[in-house]
Amino acid sequence: METCNEKMKISLMALAVQGALTAMFALPLAAYAADESEELAALKRPTNSVEIGVDGVSKKSAKFGEYTGLDKSGAKLIGNFDIRGGNAYDGGGGTTRWSINGRDLGLTSRSAGATISNQGQWTIGIGYDELRHNISDTYQTPLQGVVGGNIFTLPPTFGYVGAQPLAPATVTLDATKLGAFHTVDVGTTRKNTSFNAGYNFNPQLSVQFGYNRLKQSGAKLMGSGTLGTKDVAAGGGTWRAEAISILMNPTNYQTNNIDLALNWIGDKGHLTGSYYSSRFSNGYDRFTWENAYKSGAAVSAPCGFPPCTYQTTTMSTAPNNDFHQLNVSGGYAFSSSTKLAGGISYGRNTQNAAFLTGNLTTVPEIPAAFILPQVSLNGLVVTRHADLKLTHQATKDLALSAGFKLNERDNRSPANIYQYWALNGNGGTVALPAGIDVATNAPYSNKKTELELAGDYRLDKRQSLRLAYVHEKISRWCNGMVLPYSNCVVVPSNSEDRLGLSYRLRTADGVGFNASYTYAARKALFNHDAVTPLAGLNLNVVAVTLPTDVNAQDYPGFAAHIYDSRRQHLLKAAANWQATEKLDLSLTGRYVHDKYDAYLGVQNSRTTGLNLDATYSRAENASYSAYMSWQRSRRDLRSGLSVPANAAANAGPSYAALLASVALNPLSIWSNQLTDNGSAIGIRSKHTGLMNGKLELDGDLSYSFDTTGYATQLQYVSAQCSPTNMTACGALPDIKSRLLTLKLIGSYQLNKSDKLGLGLIHQKLTADDYFYNAYLYGSAPLRIMPTNQQSGSYSANVVAVSYIHTFR
Amino acid sequence: MNRIRRYLAACMLIGGLGVSATLWAADEARAPAASVGAATAKATPAPAAAGKEAICTKCHDENEPTPLLSFYQTKHGVKGDPRTPTCQTCHGESEKHLKGDPNIKGRPATDVVYKKGAFAASDDKVRAGQCLTCHKGTNRTRWEGGQHDANGVACNDCHKVHQPADKVLSKKAQTEVCFTCHKEQRAQSHKISTHPIDAGKVVCSDCHNPHGSAGPKLLKKATVTETCFTCHAEKRGPFLWEHQPVTEDCANCHTPHGSNISPLLKSRAPFLCQECHDGPHNSKTPYGALSGGFQAVPPGSLAVPNENAAGRGCINCHSMVHGSNHPAGALLHR
Repeated sequence: METCNEKMKISLMALAVQGALTAMFALPLAAYAADESEELAALKRPTNSVEIGVDGVSKKSAKFGEYTGLDKSGAKLIGNFDIRGGNAYDGGGGTTRWSINGRDLGLTSRSAGATISNQGQWTIGIGYDELRHNISDTYQTPLQGVVGGNIFTLPPTFGYVGAQPLAPATVTLDATKLGAFHTVDVGTTRKNTSFNAGYNFNPQLSVQFGYNRLKQSGAKLMGSGTLGTKDVAAGGGTWRAEAISILMNPTNYQTNNIDLALNWIGDKGHLTGSYYSSRFSNGYDRFTWENAYKSGAAVSAPCGFPPCTYQTTTMSTAPNNDFHQLNVSGGYAFSSSTKLAGGISYGRNTQNAAFLTGNLTTVPEIPAAFILPQVSLNGLVVTRHADLKLTHQATKDLALSAGFKLNERDNRSPANIYQYWALNGNGGTVALPAGIDVATNAPYSNKKTELELAGDYRLDKRQSLRLAYVHEKISRWCNGMVLPYSNCVVVPSNSEDRLGLSYRLRTADGVGFNASYTYAARKALFNHDAVTPLAGLNLNVVAVTLPTDVNAQDYPGFAAHIYDSRRQHLLKAAANWQATEKLDLSLTGRYVHDKYDAYLGVQNSRTTGLNLDATYSRAENASYSAYMSWQRSRRDLRSGLSVPANAAANAGPSYAALLASVALNPLSIWSNQLTDNGSAIGIRSKHTGLMNGKLELDGDLSYSFDTTGYATQLQYVSAQCSPTNMTACGALPDIKSRLLTLKLIGSYQLNKSDKLGLGLIHQKLTADDYFYNAYLYGSAPLRIMPTNQQSGSYSANVVAVSYIHTFR
Repeated sequence: MNRIRRYLAACMLIGGLGVSATLWAADEARAPAASVGAATAKATPAPAAAGKEAICTKCHDENEPTPLLSFYQTKHGVKGDPRTPTCQTCHGESEKHLKGDPNIKGRPATDVVYKKGAFAASDDKVRAGQCLTCHKGTNRTRWEGGQHDANGVACNDCHKVHQPADKVLSKKAQTEVCFTCHKEQRAQSHKISTHPIDAGKVVCSDCHNPHGSAGPKLLKKATVTETCFTCHAEKRGPFLWEHQPVTEDCANCHTPHGSNISPLLKSRAPFLCQECHDGPHNSKTPYGALSGGFQAVPPGSLAVPNENAAGRGCINCHSMVHGSNHPAGALLHR
């Protein structure tokens, strides 16, 4: 026993040694195994993150912070989080997943959302997205009122702005007026709240619901001409016509969208029936402002005695409207090689907001027969859509398709004659007082049908050809037009044929190439005797019997390019080459040439574009890419200066009569070219694993340079185009913008779960645009109230530091 | 001997304590995963979760250069959903790949190869066909014969199904994917007037359905106007006074991806207007250097911009170009 005990003692000793050895060698292996599990968990489970920090913006600039919320200098809070969970991770049997996230919480471009789903059964999500669109922080106005409000008044002591000079001159304002100007930050804020849900009744049948409310506040800038007529409410005083104020048009909008869809999926077919509703409402039915422009007053007249009584002018706002649409779409596979897909939809767009009434809006003092024909439009547009496409894999190498589409906008709103105070103060006939104009509204309708036939043929394993033909027809009309406006469109129909051939190549060694050519011929069917109501407004009599303004009052031979007969050549090519395992190169190009038939109007346009890209993956943790884009386009316009005699000469009973009386006069022809050139280059690098695996760094440098120019030539009186008198000819100053952006975004791993986020952004915009000359005090013409708005050039820096905590 | 025993016992104790501490620390670090693991263990595995993918993941494990196992974070990784595919659902049974071919070096390709690497990628129709087997209907109703299908684009050219964060589904990163091919749009998005594309607030899929559409340019809706009205419903009307080109196609005047002329215009008034009007009012008047402004004017000349040409040009007065519901708005003034 003792011996045994002795043996026991020895074996205990041995066990102790073995245990120690095990502890020394085996347990580290266990720890290694534990690490391995963590590595697996990292792959299988989502990484949650919470980030908090500070952005420092160097300079105030509405343009720099146009959409980012970084428009003001100083510090901004960085707040981002993304947290996910549920039992459906790890490849287990659970099906529940949820997530909550928030982004840019300290900025006006913030968003947040949450979702929860039981995959295969149901899903629910909510979202909130805010976007501030900063439009200008240099706009100045003497008008008093809040941004987003709808009543703007002038200070009682502001005074009047006076007479229109014969020669162009800049506006001069006295000290009182200049003192009333103040700077306003103009912009809109959009808040989008959404809810969506889905439920699967079974693998074949599911329902989806989506709702979003888009609420917009703030204001956009818009021009406005004032009325040159009597201010009835003010008891007299002639105000000046067509003097311009730039106003803050309130965007007090709300749009509620609903999508409800029922989906069925079978073995061979699938069908979706859905309802879409979009209801727009505007918090304001109008906005008003006070007009300082007054005929007969001195150029810059202070108010004396009696005190200022301004003309109050009214602008309409977008009317409330509803759109409801029913859709059915689906597909059926006759076989694995023959499939049919398509859909139909029917929509009703209604608008019945009450018309504005009151002084300077309607014409209260004219006979009762001329009052508003109805108190609201009672507008209705019915939209119809249908499409069907049949695809058939005829042989292993040949695929065919045939498709048909129809889209119709049938405007059933009533048409009537309206009389109103003309903005320019002109008009006046034996039947109507001076300043009254007459017009009938034109409810435009159109129908577009399209037939498409295409064939894809595989030449071999790597090459294929595609031939496609499209025939398109557009018809235009107006329902219920008031005589004599039976025709409302100069081009009641267009038809277009397009034929395209494309070639595609993919080689085994990483070269891809495709090229295509498309020829399109569009024909316009003209009705030059049509009197378009918007143009034919010289009818200052009510009881007209014949149309007197033909070809939309346009010069004989003129056609709007969007409707004119046209031939188009479109060439596209792209080459892609994976030069090595690490280097990818691509080159794409596009050329479009449009040539129009009309003697006057746009004659032709050309666009050429080239893009070069290169990507180099140096190692698993380092890659670089670079791109260059170049685009040039040009449009040539030829136009007629004026109808040779006068407006009466344009009042032929028919286009033929007009042509007979007004020959095309080459001396009154002028031309204009638009050139638009754009270049963009960019370099990007991505590094991970720097500084012993702790630092990640993305660098992005881009530069774009765009120039737009207009040049006008007079082909009739060359003497007018002298260097000192180029009001009608010569090149306008180029519109230039150069944008340089440098972004360095990185993170430094402090420990396993914590990172330090670092960011540096430098952006410089140099914009040069004659647009603003008209509004700058000192160069603004007399008939424009200056705003001193600037082009928006800036040079701004942002430094960001944040702490990021990650966890699982 | 006793000393030796005590020494060894001390070694065991210290070693044991050290190991226990290590294991405890490791357990603590694993705790959240373990708890979820416990939770998932209780759930009833669906047929698809029978571990069929194990035949693949025993080789394609966490040591793959491009992590494959992160697909467990994607919708395809939810094994409790009976619709969930296994690797072979998408890549094919791939028997040759699994068994190997003694006659060739390395393993043959799987039946369907999605990305060019060691093997050439399968034909785009084959790749897309695999996805469309399950993902049919709804947004993909019009995939066949659509622009992407016709141009050899397959689902995995845009989607990364093994990665937990599929860039093309993220508002912040989507454009990066689309701009890989659509380079003109990338350049246009850097112009001075754009939608909030760079800010990630409006992205390609807000307007386009890349899976096929009844509309032009793969737009989500059947027409351009209907698509734009989704956000710009205030321009939908119908207005009392309509502007004909507005009722047909917003792209008659606007270019949605970016422009040098704000707001997203193809050209600027008055020239933009003169492309369609040559008669009424000043639409027939030529405008040259002086009418624009002082930058291009010779020294000493008169430099007063013309209000019909500079600034908003015609739209200084005809400001309701999208339509007016004002009874006095026939000329789109009000």
